[in-house]
Amino acid sequence: MTITRTTLWLLLLPGVGYLVVFFGLPLVLALLTSLGMGTIGTNEGFTLRHYADLFSDSVYRDGIRYSVYISVAPTLASLAVALPLAVVLQATFPGKKLFLTLYKVPLVVPGIVAAFIVMILFDRGGEMSRILKPVGLSLPKLVRDEWSLGVIIALAWKSIPFMTLIIGGALASIPADLAAAARSLGANRQVVFWQIELPMALPGITAAVLLVFVGSTGAFAVPSLLGPIYPKPLSVWMYEAAYQQNDWGLATAMGIVMSAIACAVLLIYYRLTHGLNRAIGGETR
Amino acid sequence: MKGRWLSIGLYSALALTLLAPMVVAALWSLVDPKGGWFAPDIVPRAISLHHWQAIGLDRSLLNSIGLSVVISLAVTALSGLLALPTAYALAKIPFRAKRAIEMFILAPLIVPGLIVGIGIGYLFFRVGLAYSVPGVILAQTIGTLPFMIRILSATLEAIPADLIFAARSLGATPFKVGLHIVAPLAWPGFIAGGMLTFVSSFEEFEKTFIVGAPQVETLTVKLWAVLGGKVMIFPNAAVVTFIVLVPTVLIFFLAERAMRNDGALAAGMGKL
Repeated sequence: MTITRTTLWLLLLPGVGYLVVFFGLPLVLALLTSLGMGTIGTNEGFTLRHYADLFSDSVYRDGIRYSVYISVAPTLASLAVALPLAVVLQATFPGKKLFLTLYKVPLVVPGIVAAFIVMILFDRGGEMSRILKPVGLSLPKLVRDEWSLGVIIALAWKSIPFMTLIIGGALASIPADLAAAARSLGANRQVVFWQIELPMALPGITAAVLLVFVGSTGAFAVPSLLGPIYPKPLSVWMYEAAYQQNDWGLATAMGIVMSAIACAVLLIYYRLTHGLNRAIGGETR
Repeated sequence: MKGRWLSIGLYSALALTLLAPMVVAALWSLVDPKGGWFAPDIVPRAISLHHWQAIGLDRSLLNSIGLSVVISLAVTALSGLLALPTAYALAKIPFRAKRAIEMFILAPLIVPGLIVGIGIGYLFFRVGLAYSVPGVILAQTIGTLPFMIRILSATLEAIPADLIFAARSLGATPFKVGLHIVAPLAWPGFIAGGMLTFVSSFEEFEKTFIVGAPQVETLTVKLWAVLGGKVMIFPNAAVVTFIVLVPTVLIFFLAERAMRNDGALAAGMGKL
Protein backbone atom coordinates (compact mmCIF):
# COMPACT_ATOMS: atom_id res chain seq x y z
CA MET A 1 0.00 0.00 0.00
CA THR A 2 1.61 3.23 -1.07
CA ILE A 3 0.18 6.42 0.26
CA THR A 4 1.42 9.76 -0.90
CA ARG A 5 2.14 12.61 1.47
CA THR A 6 -0.74 14.54 -0.04
CA THR A 7 -3.21 11.77 0.72
CA LEU A 8 -1.87 11.54 4.27
CA TRP A 9 -2.30 15.26 4.91
CA LEU A 10 -5.74 15.22 3.30
CA LEU A 11 -6.74 12.45 5.69
CA LEU A 12 -5.33 14.30 8.70
CA LEU A 13 -6.79 17.64 7.67
CA PRO A 14 -10.42 17.38 8.91
CA GLY A 15 -9.58 16.41 12.49
CA VAL A 16 -6.30 18.26 12.95
CA GLY A 17 -7.40 21.30 10.94
CA TYR A 18 -10.56 21.67 13.00
CA LEU A 19 -8.58 21.65 16.24
CA VAL A 20 -6.04 24.12 14.85
CA VAL A 21 -8.79 26.58 13.93
CA PHE A 22 -11.10 26.19 16.91
CA PHE A 23 -8.67 25.21 19.67
CA GLY A 24 -5.15 26.35 18.74
CA LEU A 25 -6.11 29.67 17.20
CA PRO A 26 -8.36 30.83 20.09
CA LEU A 27 -5.61 29.98 22.59
CA VAL A 28 -3.07 32.00 20.60
CA LEU A 29 -5.56 34.87 20.29
CA ALA A 30 -6.18 34.68 24.05
CA LEU A 31 -2.44 34.85 24.73
CA LEU A 32 -2.06 37.85 22.40
CA THR A 33 -5.08 39.61 23.92
CA SER A 34 -3.72 39.08 27.44
CA LEU A 35 -0.52 40.81 26.27
CA GLY A 36 -2.47 43.78 24.90
CA MET A 37 -2.10 42.68 21.30
CA GLY A 38 -5.70 41.84 20.48
CA THR A 39 -5.54 41.04 16.79
CA ILE A 40 -9.25 41.60 16.35
CA GLY A 41 -10.56 44.90 17.66
CA THR A 42 -8.59 46.81 20.30
CA ASN A 43 -4.84 46.83 19.96
CA GLU A 44 -2.95 48.72 22.64
CA GLY A 45 0.51 47.38 21.84
CA PHE A 46 2.55 44.95 23.94
CA THR A 47 1.86 45.36 27.63
CA LEU A 48 2.05 43.30 30.80
CA ARG A 49 -0.59 45.54 32.35
CA HIS A 50 -3.26 42.81 32.55
CA TYR A 51 -0.89 40.47 34.35
CA ALA A 52 0.17 43.29 36.68
CA ASP A 53 -3.53 44.00 37.41
CA LEU A 54 -4.05 40.33 38.11
CA PHE A 55 -1.13 39.84 40.48
CA SER A 56 -1.38 43.18 42.28
CA ASP A 57 -4.98 42.62 43.36
CA SER A 58 -5.21 40.55 46.54
CA VAL A 59 -8.69 39.36 45.52
CA TYR A 60 -7.23 37.65 42.46
CA ARG A 61 -4.20 36.37 44.37
CA ASP A 62 -6.58 34.71 46.81
CA GLY A 63 -8.42 33.39 43.78
CA ILE A 64 -5.28 31.73 42.43
CA ARG A 65 -4.54 30.20 45.83
CA TYR A 66 -8.11 28.97 46.12
CA SER A 67 -8.06 27.50 42.59
CA VAL A 68 -4.94 25.52 43.48
CA TYR A 69 -6.57 24.36 46.72
CA ILE A 70 -9.72 23.06 45.05
CA SER A 71 -7.55 21.22 42.52
CA VAL A 72 -5.14 19.60 44.97
CA ALA A 73 -7.63 18.58 47.66
CA PRO A 74 -10.10 16.68 45.41
CA THR A 75 -7.19 15.02 43.59
CA LEU A 76 -5.74 13.71 46.86
CA ALA A 77 -9.16 12.68 48.12
CA SER A 78 -9.97 10.72 44.99
CA LEU A 79 -6.51 9.13 44.92
CA ALA A 80 -7.08 7.92 48.48
CA VAL A 81 -10.20 6.07 47.30
CA ALA A 82 -9.23 5.18 43.72
CA LEU A 83 -5.90 3.50 44.44
CA PRO A 84 -7.26 0.93 46.95
CA LEU A 85 -10.36 0.49 44.79
CA ALA A 86 -8.28 -0.22 41.68
CA VAL A 87 -6.23 -2.78 43.65
CA VAL A 88 -9.33 -4.49 45.03
CA LEU A 89 -10.95 -4.61 41.58
CA GLN A 90 -8.08 -6.78 40.27
CA ALA A 91 -9.54 -9.66 42.35
CA THR A 92 -12.47 -11.74 41.15
CA PHE A 93 -15.77 -11.52 43.02
CA PRO A 94 -19.38 -12.36 42.23
CA GLY A 95 -21.08 -9.61 40.24
CA LYS A 96 -17.77 -8.10 39.11
CA LYS A 97 -18.91 -7.43 35.55
CA LEU A 98 -21.97 -5.46 36.67
CA PHE A 99 -19.95 -3.56 39.27
CA LEU A 100 -17.39 -2.54 36.65
CA THR A 101 -20.18 -0.91 34.66
CA LEU A 102 -22.08 0.68 37.54
CA TYR A 103 -19.15 2.30 39.34
CA LYS A 104 -18.37 4.34 36.21
CA VAL A 105 -21.68 6.23 36.29
CA PRO A 106 -20.19 9.44 37.83
CA LEU A 107 -18.01 9.72 34.69
CA VAL A 108 -21.03 10.92 32.75
CA VAL A 109 -22.76 12.87 35.54
CA PRO A 110 -22.46 16.62 34.89
CA GLY A 111 -20.71 18.65 37.59
CA ILE A 112 -23.88 20.63 38.24
CA VAL A 113 -25.78 17.45 39.03
CA ALA A 114 -23.00 16.39 41.42
CA ALA A 115 -23.29 19.82 43.07
CA PHE A 116 -27.07 19.45 43.34
CA ILE A 117 -26.67 16.03 44.98
CA VAL A 118 -24.22 17.44 47.51
CA MET A 119 -26.72 20.24 48.27
CA ILE A 120 -29.67 17.94 48.95
CA LEU A 121 -27.55 15.55 51.03
CA PHE A 122 -25.12 17.71 52.97
CA ASP A 123 -26.46 21.25 53.13
CA ARG A 124 -27.83 22.47 56.45
CA GLY A 125 -31.20 20.80 56.83
CA GLY A 126 -30.23 18.36 54.07
CA GLU A 127 -31.04 14.67 54.13
CA MET A 128 -27.91 13.60 56.06
CA SER A 129 -28.48 16.03 58.91
CA ARG A 130 -32.15 14.97 59.09
CA ILE A 131 -31.13 11.32 59.36
CA LEU A 132 -28.38 12.02 61.90
CA LYS A 133 -30.40 14.35 64.12
CA PRO A 134 -32.54 11.69 65.89
CA VAL A 135 -29.33 9.84 66.84
CA GLY A 136 -27.94 13.04 68.31
CA LEU A 137 -25.27 13.63 65.69
CA SER A 138 -24.80 16.71 63.58
CA LEU A 139 -22.79 17.47 60.48
CA PRO A 140 -20.26 20.27 60.20
CA LYS A 141 -21.08 22.97 57.65
CA LEU A 142 -20.37 21.38 54.27
CA VAL A 143 -21.91 23.73 51.73
CA ARG A 144 -20.49 27.23 51.24
CA ASP A 145 -18.13 26.41 54.12
CA GLU A 146 -14.72 27.84 54.87
CA TRP A 147 -12.85 24.67 53.83
CA SER A 148 -14.97 24.02 50.72
CA LEU A 149 -15.59 20.45 51.84
CA GLY A 150 -18.72 20.27 49.69
CA VAL A 151 -16.72 21.31 46.62
CA ILE A 152 -14.10 18.68 47.43
CA ILE A 153 -16.75 15.97 47.92
CA ALA A 154 -18.47 16.77 44.60
CA LEU A 155 -15.26 17.00 42.56
CA ALA A 156 -13.72 13.89 44.13
CA TRP A 157 -16.94 11.89 43.65
CA LYS A 158 -16.82 12.73 39.96
CA SER A 159 -13.12 11.86 39.53
CA ILE A 160 -12.93 8.59 41.48
CA PRO A 161 -14.16 6.31 38.63
CA PHE A 162 -11.90 8.03 36.10
CA MET A 163 -8.86 7.59 38.34
CA THR A 164 -9.79 4.00 39.18
CA LEU A 165 -10.20 3.22 35.49
CA ILE A 166 -6.73 4.49 34.58
CA ILE A 167 -4.92 3.07 37.64
CA GLY A 168 -6.76 -0.24 37.20
CA GLY A 169 -5.62 -0.37 33.58
CA ALA A 170 -2.03 0.23 34.67
CA LEU A 171 -2.24 -2.48 37.36
CA ALA A 172 -3.87 -4.98 34.99
CA SER A 173 -1.09 -4.57 32.45
CA ILE A 174 1.58 -5.77 34.93
CA PRO A 175 2.43 -9.40 34.02
CA ALA A 176 1.08 -11.79 36.67
CA ASP A 177 4.31 -13.83 36.43
CA LEU A 178 6.18 -10.99 38.09
CA ALA A 179 4.13 -11.14 41.27
CA ALA A 180 4.21 -14.94 41.21
CA ALA A 181 8.01 -14.93 40.84
CA ALA A 182 8.41 -12.48 43.71
CA ARG A 183 6.08 -14.55 45.91
CA SER A 184 8.00 -17.74 45.13
CA LEU A 185 11.21 -15.94 46.13
CA GLY A 186 9.69 -15.25 49.53
CA ALA A 187 8.16 -11.78 49.20
CA ASN A 188 4.85 -11.38 51.01
CA ARG A 189 1.84 -9.71 49.42
CA GLN A 190 2.66 -6.32 50.86
CA VAL A 191 6.21 -6.38 49.58
CA VAL A 192 4.92 -7.39 46.16
CA PHE A 193 2.51 -4.46 46.17
CA TRP A 194 4.87 -1.77 47.43
CA GLN A 195 7.99 -2.87 45.58
CA ILE A 196 6.66 -4.29 42.34
CA GLU A 197 3.08 -3.39 41.53
CA LEU A 198 3.03 0.20 42.77
CA PRO A 199 6.26 1.29 41.04
CA MET A 200 5.16 -0.41 37.82
CA ALA A 201 1.76 1.26 37.94
CA LEU A 202 3.30 4.66 38.65
CA PRO A 203 3.06 6.03 35.10
CA GLY A 204 -0.67 5.25 35.12
CA ILE A 205 -1.10 6.79 38.55
CA THR A 206 0.80 9.88 37.42
CA ALA A 207 -1.40 10.26 34.38
CA ALA A 208 -4.57 9.86 36.45
CA VAL A 209 -3.45 12.37 39.11
CA LEU A 210 -2.45 14.89 36.45
CA LEU A 211 -5.67 14.68 34.52
CA VAL A 212 -7.83 14.97 37.61
CA PHE A 213 -5.78 17.91 38.89
CA VAL A 214 -5.99 19.76 35.61
CA GLY A 215 -9.67 18.94 35.26
CA SER A 216 -10.38 20.50 38.65
CA THR A 217 -8.23 23.60 37.99
CA GLY A 218 -10.83 25.09 35.71
CA ALA A 219 -13.86 23.83 37.65
CA PHE A 220 -16.54 26.46 37.47
CA ALA A 221 -20.03 25.18 38.20
CA VAL A 222 -19.21 23.18 41.34
CA PRO A 223 -17.29 25.89 43.23
CA SER A 224 -19.82 28.52 42.16
CA LEU A 225 -22.69 26.50 43.61
CA LEU A 226 -21.01 24.92 46.64
CA GLY A 227 -18.01 27.12 47.43
CA PRO A 228 -17.83 29.94 49.97
CA ILE A 229 -18.76 33.52 49.02
CA TYR A 230 -15.08 34.40 49.36
CA PRO A 231 -12.54 33.43 48.08
CA LYS A 232 -13.80 32.60 44.61
CA PRO A 233 -11.71 30.51 42.22
CA LEU A 234 -9.93 32.20 39.33
CA SER A 235 -12.32 30.48 36.89
CA VAL A 236 -15.28 32.41 38.36
CA TRP A 237 -13.36 35.72 38.30
CA MET A 238 -12.39 34.97 34.72
CA TYR A 239 -16.01 34.54 33.70
CA GLU A 240 -17.01 37.74 35.49
CA ALA A 241 -14.16 39.73 33.95
CA ALA A 242 -15.11 38.57 30.46
CA TYR A 243 -18.87 38.68 30.51
CA GLN A 244 -19.78 41.17 33.22
CA GLN A 245 -16.95 43.72 32.99
CA ASN A 246 -16.19 43.00 29.33
CA ASP A 247 -12.49 43.15 30.24
CA TRP A 248 -11.11 40.51 27.89
CA GLY A 249 -7.51 41.49 28.55
CA LEU A 250 -7.86 40.59 32.22
CA ALA A 251 -10.00 37.51 31.51
CA THR A 252 -7.56 36.06 29.00
CA ALA A 253 -4.64 36.82 31.35
CA MET A 254 -6.45 34.75 34.00
CA GLY A 255 -6.97 31.93 31.51
CA ILE A 256 -3.29 31.95 30.59
CA VAL A 257 -2.28 31.94 34.29
CA MET A 258 -4.55 28.93 34.92
CA SER A 259 -3.12 27.10 31.91
CA ALA A 260 0.38 27.96 33.14
CA ILE A 261 -0.40 26.52 36.60
CA ALA A 262 -1.68 23.34 34.96
CA CYS A 263 1.43 23.08 32.77
CA ALA A 264 3.77 23.79 35.69
CA VAL A 265 2.18 21.06 37.79
CA LEU A 266 2.44 18.73 34.83
CA LEU A 267 6.18 19.42 34.53
CA ILE A 268 6.91 19.21 38.27
CA TYR A 269 4.99 15.97 38.58
CA TYR A 270 6.77 14.47 35.57
CA ARG A 271 10.13 15.38 37.03
CA LEU A 272 9.21 14.00 40.43
CA THR A 273 7.99 10.66 39.16
CA HIS A 274 10.88 10.48 36.75
CA GLY A 275 13.28 10.94 39.65
CA LEU A 276 11.30 8.43 41.68
CA ASN A 277 11.49 5.88 38.90
CA ARG A 278 15.21 6.36 38.70
CA ALA A 279 15.57 6.01 42.48
CA ILE A 280 13.62 2.76 42.45
CA GLY A 281 15.58 1.56 39.42
CA GLY A 282 18.85 2.33 41.19
CA GLU A 283 17.75 0.47 44.29
CA THR A 284 17.02 -2.73 42.43
CA ARG A 285 20.21 -2.67 40.42
CA MET B 1 -17.90 -18.53 47.24
CA LYS B 2 -14.65 -16.70 46.69
CA GLY B 3 -14.82 -12.96 47.11
CA ARG B 4 -18.32 -12.89 48.55
CA TRP B 5 -17.44 -10.40 51.28
CA LEU B 6 -15.59 -8.24 48.81
CA SER B 7 -18.66 -8.23 46.62
CA ILE B 8 -20.92 -7.31 49.54
CA GLY B 9 -18.58 -4.50 50.58
CA LEU B 10 -18.25 -3.03 47.10
CA TYR B 11 -21.96 -3.15 46.35
CA SER B 12 -22.79 -1.56 49.72
CA ALA B 13 -20.38 1.26 48.97
CA LEU B 14 -22.03 1.67 45.58
CA ALA B 15 -25.50 1.73 47.15
CA LEU B 16 -24.41 4.44 49.59
CA THR B 17 -22.56 6.69 47.18
CA LEU B 18 -24.65 6.26 44.04
CA LEU B 19 -28.06 4.76 44.74
CA ALA B 20 -28.87 6.63 47.97
CA PRO B 21 -28.23 10.10 46.47
CA MET B 22 -30.41 9.16 43.50
CA VAL B 23 -33.22 8.05 45.81
CA VAL B 24 -33.09 11.38 47.66
CA ALA B 25 -33.11 13.24 44.33
CA ALA B 26 -36.07 11.12 43.20
CA LEU B 27 -37.94 11.98 46.41
CA TRP B 28 -37.32 15.68 45.76
CA SER B 29 -38.80 15.33 42.29
CA LEU B 30 -41.89 13.70 43.81
CA VAL B 31 -42.56 16.23 46.58
CA ASP B 32 -46.20 17.25 46.68
CA PRO B 33 -46.24 21.06 46.46
CA LYS B 34 -49.11 21.26 48.97
CA GLY B 35 -47.26 19.32 51.69
CA GLY B 36 -43.72 20.48 50.89
CA TRP B 37 -40.68 18.83 52.38
CA PHE B 38 -39.15 20.52 55.39
CA ALA B 39 -36.68 19.50 58.09
CA PRO B 40 -36.86 17.38 60.19
CA ASP B 41 -38.94 15.11 57.91
CA ILE B 42 -36.76 12.36 56.46
CA VAL B 43 -39.26 11.66 53.68
CA PRO B 44 -41.78 14.10 52.19
CA ARG B 45 -45.23 14.28 53.87
CA ALA B 46 -47.02 13.65 50.63
CA ILE B 47 -45.91 12.43 47.27
CA SER B 48 -47.28 13.38 43.88
CA LEU B 49 -46.33 13.48 40.24
CA HIS B 50 -47.10 17.20 40.15
CA HIS B 51 -43.59 18.31 39.14
CA TRP B 52 -43.32 15.62 36.49
CA GLN B 53 -46.68 16.50 34.99
CA ALA B 54 -45.62 20.15 34.95
CA ILE B 55 -42.91 19.33 32.37
CA GLY B 56 -45.53 19.12 29.66
CA LEU B 57 -46.72 22.65 30.48
CA ASP B 58 -43.26 24.19 30.71
CA ARG B 59 -42.47 25.46 27.24
CA SER B 60 -38.93 26.54 28.10
CA LEU B 61 -38.10 23.10 29.55
CA LEU B 62 -39.50 21.32 26.48
CA ASN B 63 -37.42 23.67 24.32
CA SER B 64 -34.32 22.83 26.34
CA ILE B 65 -34.92 19.10 25.90
CA GLY B 66 -35.32 19.47 22.14
CA LEU B 67 -32.34 21.79 21.88
CA SER B 68 -30.08 19.45 23.88
CA VAL B 69 -31.01 16.48 21.69
CA VAL B 70 -30.52 18.41 18.42
CA ILE B 71 -27.17 19.87 19.54
CA SER B 72 -25.89 16.50 20.74
CA LEU B 73 -26.91 14.77 17.48
CA ALA B 74 -25.21 17.50 15.44
CA VAL B 75 -22.06 17.33 17.57
CA THR B 76 -21.96 13.54 17.19
CA ALA B 77 -22.37 13.70 13.41
CA LEU B 78 -19.80 16.48 13.03
CA SER B 79 -17.29 14.73 15.30
CA GLY B 80 -17.72 11.42 13.47
CA LEU B 81 -17.27 12.97 10.02
CA LEU B 82 -14.19 14.96 11.04
CA ALA B 83 -12.67 12.14 13.09
CA LEU B 84 -12.94 9.22 10.65
CA PRO B 85 -10.29 10.16 8.06
CA THR B 86 -7.91 11.47 10.72
CA ALA B 87 -8.36 8.37 12.88
CA TYR B 88 -7.73 6.16 9.86
CA ALA B 89 -4.48 8.00 9.07
CA LEU B 90 -3.31 7.75 12.69
CA ALA B 91 -4.19 4.07 12.96
CA LYS B 92 -3.02 2.69 9.65
CA ILE B 93 -0.37 4.94 8.11
CA PRO B 94 3.10 5.19 9.63
CA PHE B 95 4.57 8.71 9.43
CA ARG B 96 7.13 10.70 11.30
CA ALA B 97 5.17 13.46 13.03
CA LYS B 98 2.55 10.99 14.37
CA ARG B 99 3.49 11.33 18.05
CA ALA B 100 3.38 15.14 17.89
CA ILE B 101 0.00 15.10 16.15
CA GLU B 102 -1.40 12.65 18.70
CA MET B 103 -0.25 14.93 21.51
CA PHE B 104 -1.86 17.95 19.85
CA ILE B 105 -5.13 16.07 19.40
CA LEU B 106 -5.21 15.20 23.10
CA ALA B 107 -4.47 18.76 24.22
CA PRO B 108 -8.13 19.89 24.31
CA LEU B 109 -8.83 17.09 26.80
CA ILE B 110 -6.08 18.38 29.08
CA VAL B 111 -6.74 22.12 28.93
CA PRO B 112 -9.70 22.91 31.24
CA GLY B 113 -13.02 23.32 29.42
CA LEU B 114 -13.57 26.81 30.78
CA ILE B 115 -10.27 28.09 29.36
CA VAL B 116 -11.06 26.54 25.98
CA GLY B 117 -14.48 28.15 26.38
CA ILE B 118 -13.07 31.63 27.08
CA GLY B 119 -10.74 31.35 24.08
CA ILE B 120 -13.46 30.25 21.71
CA GLY B 121 -16.00 32.56 23.37
CA TYR B 122 -13.74 35.50 22.66
CA LEU B 123 -13.31 34.48 19.03
CA PHE B 124 -17.04 33.87 18.54
CA PHE B 125 -17.83 37.15 20.28
CA ARG B 126 -15.80 38.91 17.60
CA VAL B 127 -17.12 37.01 14.61
CA GLY B 128 -20.76 36.98 15.70
CA LEU B 129 -21.14 33.29 16.57
CA ALA B 130 -21.63 33.95 20.29
CA TYR B 131 -25.06 33.05 21.75
CA SER B 132 -25.92 30.93 18.70
CA VAL B 133 -26.69 27.23 18.30
CA PRO B 134 -24.03 26.72 15.58
CA GLY B 135 -21.52 28.38 17.92
CA VAL B 136 -22.40 25.93 20.71
CA ILE B 137 -22.12 22.95 18.32
CA LEU B 138 -18.70 24.10 17.12
CA ALA B 139 -17.51 24.74 20.69
CA GLN B 140 -18.66 21.36 22.03
CA THR B 141 -17.00 19.58 19.09
CA ILE B 142 -13.60 20.85 20.32
CA GLY B 143 -14.06 18.64 23.38
CA THR B 144 -15.63 15.60 21.70
CA LEU B 145 -13.42 15.40 18.60
CA PRO B 146 -10.22 14.29 20.39
CA PHE B 147 -12.24 11.64 22.18
CA MET B 148 -13.81 10.39 18.93
CA ILE B 149 -10.46 10.32 17.07
CA ARG B 150 -8.94 8.37 19.96
CA ILE B 151 -11.71 5.76 20.08
CA LEU B 152 -11.93 5.36 16.29
CA SER B 153 -8.18 5.03 15.82
CA ALA B 154 -7.95 2.52 18.71
CA THR B 155 -10.70 0.49 16.99
CA LEU B 156 -9.08 0.68 13.56
CA GLU B 157 -5.67 -0.16 15.01
CA ALA B 158 -7.09 -3.39 16.41
CA ILE B 159 -7.97 -4.66 12.92
CA PRO B 160 -5.03 -6.85 11.80
CA ALA B 161 -3.30 -5.44 8.72
CA ASP B 162 -2.76 -9.04 7.49
CA LEU B 163 -6.49 -9.40 7.00
CA ILE B 164 -6.60 -6.36 4.76
CA PHE B 165 -3.50 -7.45 2.82
CA ALA B 166 -4.87 -10.96 2.38
CA ALA B 167 -8.15 -9.64 0.97
CA ARG B 168 -6.32 -7.23 -1.31
CA SER B 169 -3.97 -9.94 -2.61
CA LEU B 170 -6.99 -12.15 -3.33
CA GLY B 171 -8.32 -9.40 -5.57
CA ALA B 172 -10.69 -7.36 -3.37
CA THR B 173 -10.91 -3.69 -4.24
CA PRO B 174 -10.24 -1.13 -1.47
CA PHE B 175 -13.98 -0.45 -1.44
CA LYS B 176 -14.81 -4.14 -0.91
CA VAL B 177 -12.18 -4.38 1.82
CA GLY B 178 -13.80 -1.42 3.53
CA LEU B 179 -17.30 -2.85 3.22
CA HIS B 180 -16.67 -6.52 4.03
CA ILE B 181 -13.70 -6.42 6.40
CA VAL B 182 -13.10 -3.05 8.01
CA ALA B 183 -16.74 -2.04 8.55
CA PRO B 184 -17.95 -5.26 10.24
CA LEU B 185 -14.90 -5.37 12.52
CA ALA B 186 -14.97 -1.67 13.37
CA TRP B 187 -18.64 -0.94 13.88
CA PRO B 188 -18.82 -1.76 17.62
CA GLY B 189 -16.09 0.81 18.24
CA PHE B 190 -17.83 3.31 15.97
CA ILE B 191 -21.16 2.85 17.73
CA ALA B 192 -19.51 3.16 21.13
CA GLY B 193 -17.61 6.26 20.02
CA GLY B 194 -20.79 7.82 18.69
CA MET B 195 -22.76 7.09 21.84
CA LEU B 196 -20.02 8.42 24.12
CA THR B 197 -19.77 11.56 22.01
CA PHE B 198 -23.52 12.04 22.28
CA VAL B 199 -23.34 11.60 26.05
CA SER B 200 -20.43 13.98 26.56
CA SER B 201 -22.18 16.60 24.46
CA PHE B 202 -25.48 16.06 26.29
CA GLU B 203 -23.88 16.60 29.70
CA GLU B 204 -21.45 19.36 28.63
CA PHE B 205 -21.86 22.60 30.56
CA GLU B 206 -18.88 24.93 30.63
CA LYS B 207 -18.25 25.59 26.93
CA THR B 208 -21.99 25.70 26.23
CA PHE B 209 -22.51 28.15 29.07
CA ILE B 210 -19.73 30.48 27.92
CA VAL B 211 -20.60 30.43 24.24
CA GLY B 212 -24.37 30.07 24.37
CA ALA B 213 -25.91 31.17 27.68
CA PRO B 214 -28.36 32.69 28.28
CA GLN B 215 -29.77 32.54 24.74
CA VAL B 216 -28.98 28.91 24.00
CA GLU B 217 -30.40 27.10 27.02
CA THR B 218 -29.49 23.40 26.92
CA LEU B 219 -30.56 21.17 29.80
CA THR B 220 -27.38 21.66 31.82
CA VAL B 221 -27.57 25.43 31.33
CA LYS B 222 -31.21 25.24 32.43
CA LEU B 223 -30.17 23.31 35.55
CA TRP B 224 -27.60 25.99 36.28
CA ALA B 225 -30.29 28.65 35.99
CA VAL B 226 -32.58 26.73 38.36
CA LEU B 227 -29.83 26.11 40.96
CA GLY B 228 -27.87 29.35 40.70
CA GLY B 229 -30.83 31.71 40.75
CA LYS B 230 -32.13 33.73 43.66
CA VAL B 231 -34.69 31.10 44.68
CA MET B 232 -33.57 27.53 44.46
CA ILE B 233 -36.41 25.25 43.56
CA PHE B 234 -35.20 21.79 44.50
CA PRO B 235 -38.14 19.80 43.02
CA ASN B 236 -37.64 21.49 39.61
CA ALA B 237 -33.89 20.91 39.77
CA ALA B 238 -34.53 17.25 40.63
CA VAL B 239 -36.81 16.80 37.62
CA VAL B 240 -34.26 18.40 35.26
CA THR B 241 -31.53 16.25 36.86
CA PHE B 242 -33.39 13.08 35.91
CA ILE B 243 -34.17 14.35 32.40
CA VAL B 244 -30.40 14.80 31.93
CA LEU B 245 -29.27 11.67 33.77
CA VAL B 246 -31.63 8.95 32.56
CA PRO B 247 -30.76 9.11 28.84
CA THR B 248 -27.11 9.84 29.62
CA VAL B 249 -26.66 6.81 31.85
CA LEU B 250 -28.68 4.48 29.58
CA ILE B 251 -26.69 5.41 26.48
CA PHE B 252 -23.48 5.12 28.48
CA PHE B 253 -24.40 1.55 29.52
CA LEU B 254 -25.15 0.63 25.88
CA ALA B 255 -21.84 2.12 24.77
CA GLU B 256 -20.04 0.12 27.45
CA ARG B 257 -21.61 -3.07 26.15
CA ALA B 258 -20.73 -2.24 22.56
CA MET B 259 -17.16 -1.49 23.49
CA ARG B 260 -16.54 -4.78 25.34
CA ASN B 261 -13.32 -3.60 26.97
CA ASP B 262 -12.08 -0.62 28.91
CA GLY B 263 -9.07 -0.10 26.70
CA ALA B 264 -10.67 2.24 24.23
CA LEU B 265 -12.59 4.07 26.96
CA ALA B 266 -9.43 4.69 29.00
CA ALA B 267 -7.64 5.65 25.79
CA GLY B 268 -10.45 7.98 24.77
CA MET B 269 -10.67 9.52 28.20
CA GLY B 270 -7.10 10.69 27.80
CA LYS B 271 -4.29 8.24 28.38
CA LEU B 272 -1.23 10.47 28.24
